[in-house]
Amino acid sequence: MSMTSEIASEPSVSPPPQAESEARAKMTSRGVEVHYGAKRALHGIDVDILQHEVLALIGPSGCGKSTFLRCLNRMNDTIEGCKVTGEMTLDGGNIYDKALDVVQLRARVGMVFQKPNPFPKSIYDNIAYGPRIHGLAGGKEELDGIVQSSLERAGLWEEVKDRLSEPGTGLSGGQQQRLCIARAVAVSPEVILMDEPCSALDPIATAHIEELIDELRVNYTIVIVTHNMQQAARVSQKTAFFHLGDLVEHKETQEIFTNPQDERTQGYITGRYG
Amino acid sequence: MQTWVLIVALLILGLAGYYLGRSRAVASADGRAASLHSVPSYYGMYVAIWAAVPGLILVLVWLSIAPIVRDNMVLSAIPPETVTAWAQEMLPADLFAAEAEAIAASGTDGLTGPQVELLMVNIVNVAAGSSFVSPTVAGILVGPAEHMNSLGELSSWGLLVIGLGLACAGLYTARRRLAPHFRARNRVESIINVFLIICSTIAILTTLGIVLSLLFESARFFGIVPIWEFLFGTQWSPQIAIRADQVGSSGAFGAIPLFVGTLLIAAIAMLVAVPVGLMSAIYLSDYAPPRVRASVKPVLEILAGIPTVVYGFFAILTVAPFIRDLGAAVGLNVSANSALAAGVVMGIMIVPFISSLSDDVINAVPQSLRDGSAALGATKSETIRQVILPAALPGIVGACLLAVSRAIGETMIVVMAAGLAANLTVNPFAAVTTVTVQIATLLVGDQEFDSAKTLSAFALGLMLFVVTLCLNVIALRVVKKYREKYD
Ligand SMILES: Nc1ncnc2c1ncn2[C@@H]1O[C@H](COP(=O)(O)OP(=O)(O)OP(=O)(O)O)[C@@H](O)[C@H]1O
Ligand SMILES: [Mg+2]
Repeated sequence: MSMTSEIASEPSVSPPPQAESEARAKMTSRGVEVHYGAKRALHGIDVDILQHEVLALIGPSGCGKSTFLRCLNRMNDTIEGCKVTGEMTLDGGNIYDKALDVVQLRARVGMVFQKPNPFPKSIYDNIAYGPRIHGLAGGKEELDGIVQSSLERAGLWEEVKDRLSEPGTGLSGGQQQRLCIARAVAVSPEVILMDEPCSALDPIATAHIEELIDELRVNYTIVIVTHNMQQAARVSQKTAFFHLGDLVEHKETQEIFTNPQDERTQGYITGRYG
Repeated sequence: MQTWVLIVALLILGLAGYYLGRSRAVASADGRAASLHSVPSYYGMYVAIWAAVPGLILVLVWLSIAPIVRDNMVLSAIPPETVTAWAQEMLPADLFAAEAEAIAASGTDGLTGPQVELLMVNIVNVAAGSSFVSPTVAGILVGPAEHMNSLGELSSWGLLVIGLGLACAGLYTARRRLAPHFRARNRVESIINVFLIICSTIAILTTLGIVLSLLFESARFFGIVPIWEFLFGTQWSPQIAIRADQVGSSGAFGAIPLFVGTLLIAAIAMLVAVPVGLMSAIYLSDYAPPRVRASVKPVLEILAGIPTVVYGFFAILTVAPFIRDLGAAVGLNVSANSALAAGVVMGIMIVPFISSLSDDVINAVPQSLRDGSAALGATKSETIRQVILPAALPGIVGACLLAVSRAIGETMIVVMAAGLAANLTVNPFAAVTTVTVQIATLLVGDQEFDSAKTLSAFALGLMLFVVTLCLNVIALRVVKKYREKYD
């Protein structure tokens, strides 16, 4: 009960009751297990995600990166047969608490999906959708401003500023991906989860998104899944390596790339791992 | 008999052609099927088609033309004496007296059209050995009947021989043409193409035929009743005086009360069906747990299978009295047959159409859109209102349109619940009638199809057709415009 109201009213003020070293932990995960039906996809994940930090999740395909990401804003709830156990907190409040309002949680923890999923609406309405729902803009001008700045931050503004009323589904795959990033940024969540946001982007757009991530880090906390080692090294402060549902290593990006402890990590990073 | 033999023979020849063609194709490529232009079975199909199809077409054409030729040959061969004898036996004495000379001079040409038809029917009956003809007439017509039988026999054998000849020739030539480079696949595909075109042409021609027959009959009606009187008249009472001295049967053919009644009932039905159907579809697709969905959806669909007559019972026995009593309780004068009762029950009947079809289109909206919206912190109802429904709108509009056409075309419920009184009113508590109900009552029983009363049914049908056509065109426009905006 009290936890919920804390989450709702004063997100950044409440200091988590943990030790001093964890004071800046925005989200924590303790012993999180995920089952799809009888199949166990994650085997007890312990991670702290610090405030204003970019955490990169890397690992071979099918190892559970997206699954873990979806746990962080409870998107797994919509998948039939998916069961999440363990403890997961946002600003010290348990996000799997029965009393917690999932809708509010997702407004605070935004997500960009692995596959771009623009709404069948105009480009403008795609971006304005979130701000309208949450009443973030006082008037038309303010909303226009949010739309423009979001598109600018995602590096899409120049390409679409003359066709804002055209359908978002008419954009190219990479443009759609950036549209979805702009859409997530527009509601100013505290945490942004990105599932391979650059998989469909060219190097220039990728560089743009990486700049955006750097810039967002000042105000937000970011978790990004990527298959691109250079990208993980460039944008993240911490890196977590997943393998077959296990969290193998989680530490400073610098360290994991220069001095990996586990041989699976080493193999994956150096490209020896299949 | 011979015809069936021929059809079976054609099918067997076709089958044989298939294997012969296939084996020949493979043999022509020295057993290496891969070096053929097409897969061997295409060569087989090619030969099979040439063996069977020309013969089958011949059968169709022959069967539709041969009886006409045969009848004409029989008729023209009847000697005038036979015709005279038959006419004396079958025609009323005064008629016979008037025509006797012409018949004696030119045989069947001296008879009127219907008389020739009667004669023909008699001959056919005699030829078939049927007992519908009196022995005297049978005796008179024995000659023509035998002539007819022998012609029929000749025709059947002719068909058999020519059909078999065609089939063998087709099989032989088609098989001879086969060679490794022969493009059997393309040929077969183009034959299938032609076949598909013929099938769709049949559908189009049928529609055209229906429209033309409606047009012709309506034109006859508009010859009796001016078209503007029909379109803009506000009085409908289709009783026409049969004798001049009858009273109270002036006949008025103003269709407006019928169309207003139809639209009133359809509107009430849609007011009931669209909200209920759409809401239940939304509940089923996005809110209901899978177990509920699995049991509720079939139940809803059972509603669609109830015969409309049964809905009619429900309307007159339950809904109409209920509405009347309710009206009486609040001091309203509700007619026993009210538009409201008919409309509400019709709406209930339509609910499963809308809910089932809408449920399908709502389910077809990808889950990723729901996830995308949820990840932005939208609630379920916000997601449905602002993402799912707009994305599913073309399908929902289509479902509603289907429902409107059902409502406009529905007859039985209205006959039973709304009545026959053609009142021009938009008061839902009054009794009204609809276009389809009037068409049904106009044509019930034995009717002659040359009075304004019966012909007016065709004019009403034409109007109904035009109205639903316009509705469909408008809806297609709406959906298309919408598509351009969203897809
Ligand atoms: N909806 C689901 N139902 C059943 N099993 C699932 C579902 N989603 C994922 N899984 C399984 O869970 C495991 C982890 O999947 P996940 O999508 O998290 O992988 P990933 O690390 O994101 O892979 P990729 O890099 O290919 O995106 C896989 O074995 C997958 O088969
Ligand atoms: Mg993934």
